[in-house]
Amino acid sequence: MSTDLVAAGARLIDAATGEELAGAALTTAIDATAASLAELPTGAVFARTGISTAAVLRYLGCWAAHRPVALLDPALDPATLAEMVRRFAPAAVVGLDEGGAGAQAGDTPPGYERRDVGPLGPAWVRTGGEPAASPHPDLGVMLATSGSTGSPKLVRLSRTAITSNAAAIAQVLHIDGDEVAPTSLPLFYSYGMSVLNSHLVSGATVVVVDGGVLAREFWQAFDRYSATSLAGVPYNYEMLARIRWSPAKHPSLRTLTQAGGRLRNEMILAYHEKISALGGRFYVMWGQTEAGPRMSTLPADQLPQRVGSPGLALPGGTLSVRLDDGSETREPGVTGEIVYRGPNVMMGYADTAADLSRGDDQGGVLYTGDLGYLDDEGFLYLTGRLKRIGKVFGIRVNLDDIEKLVGQAGVDGVGPVAAVPAGDKVVLWCEGTVDADRRAEVAKLLAERMKLHRSGFDVRDIDRLPLLSNGKIDYRTLEARS
Amino acid sequence: MSTAIADRLRGVFVEALELPADVDVENLKYRDIEQWDSLGHMTLVAAIEDEFGVQLDTEQVIDMSSFKVALDMLQSMGVEG
Repeated sequence: MSTDLVAAGARLIDAATGEELAGAALTTAIDATAASLAELPTGAVFARTGISTAAVLRYLGCWAAHRPVALLDPALDPATLAEMVRRFAPAAVVGLDEGGAGAQAGDTPPGYERRDVGPLGPAWVRTGGEPAASPHPDLGVMLATSGSTGSPKLVRLSRTAITSNAAAIAQVLHIDGDEVAPTSLPLFYSYGMSVLNSHLVSGATVVVVDGGVLAREFWQAFDRYSATSLAGVPYNYEMLARIRWSPAKHPSLRTLTQAGGRLRNEMILAYHEKISALGGRFYVMWGQTEAGPRMSTLPADQLPQRVGSPGLALPGGTLSVRLDDGSETREPGVTGEIVYRGPNVMMGYADTAADLSRGDDQGGVLYTGDLGYLDDEGFLYLTGRLKRIGKVFGIRVNLDDIEKLVGQAGVDGVGPVAAVPAGDKVVLWCEGTVDADRRAEVAKLLAERMKLHRSGFDVRDIDRLPLLSNGKIDYRTLEARS
Repeated sequence: MSTAIADRLRGVFVEALELPADVDVENLKYRDIEQWDSLGHMTLVAAIEDEFGVQLDTEQVIDMSSFKVALDMLQSMGVEG
């Protein structure tokens, strides 16, 4: 095989055409895509990635050619895509025909020309100057950060992160060459990508079928190709429960996996019972795009007694709990921010083309921002998201709450605000020009509501609150100024 | 009779999927427009069940891939306008 991501025996089945790619034919198809990348200028590739065999081959071609590739949502708003192209100056944007009627790439951006690049298909190819630095040789895949408004950041995943995570997932889910996974999730989404990777690396079969779990075509393909597993986020399982879907209707189905958020315990138990009765398994998992993405999995035989836990750290990874003082512990029952260490942790984020040349910024450590604890056997329990906390004279205050409080109070002449910790007090930055009387009024308001001395609140004004490229407030810069 | 069902169904589609006025409802297919995604589909199913006093089973929900299919389905279920 041409790549370490695609083991011998791996198979792609295109449900729309019935075409099957395996063995030498798969290698040839990947190599052809990889070869056409040689026509492109240097640098990373942006791949608009829908659910299609062509999109999978573009991804695997980039992988085989050691060309870092960003897998992007084809429904990404054209203005956002254009803005990302400006910031990252990729060698090309491929997959212009991905995503169907509702997803348009937009106009060819300045400095690019639209042309067909062999098996890569229609692409915008960079005609202007090269970015100053080329992408780091370890860089494999980039995924956009989700959920934030404004300009997405890219998560930089090394080739090792991708392959090690795929192998670890395959190990804990017992994926072997007989497994058949349908593409129930988008491939630009880290969970969907990991289903693809973990099956290819195991020499298993992936049925490329678009439409999702509410589409007739999906279930037709599922049954026609005797799919053995289904991957879903909580929302998918809620929907399937709502329409009274039963795994018993699909005799080849043996494994259900769930990640992408917390599924209600009663729902976990219901699916566990249904699939267990058929001799199958239900796996609850936890991950983040920043970990490529999988960090923990609950062995199926630990249900129902450990319902609510997303399980144990993946093989090769460790979990610990960071306390307020910065120390870490694995002591059972102690709650703090969950820290994950493993070979699958990202190299870091990227905001610009220059960031793509950066090496590993993380050192294999990911502060997940999730709060939780471990039990006496190392099983993880999550309790919430880390809040931004400051201290006023030793009293912990929630900085987000402070911002909310000021916003809701609606003090005249005070617009957007940002609260940051500064030693033993909190600095509240107010956007625009806010005179001293108004600032005093805000400090007084906070002191009264928080029942703390007003000297603990330092209210200042600033022309513009600094923003990160994802549109969120740049608290780090504000902290440095406070 | 069927025209009355079609009218009511059209109303359900427009309301449940929050369709713009210029959408050709009769020729609409699942996932053709952004409003009719999986979330829209679930809203639509609930709205059809409410409007026509029926309960759709798994196969019907999954089969309901267009306005026309939905209309045929309701008629075959004996729903009266």
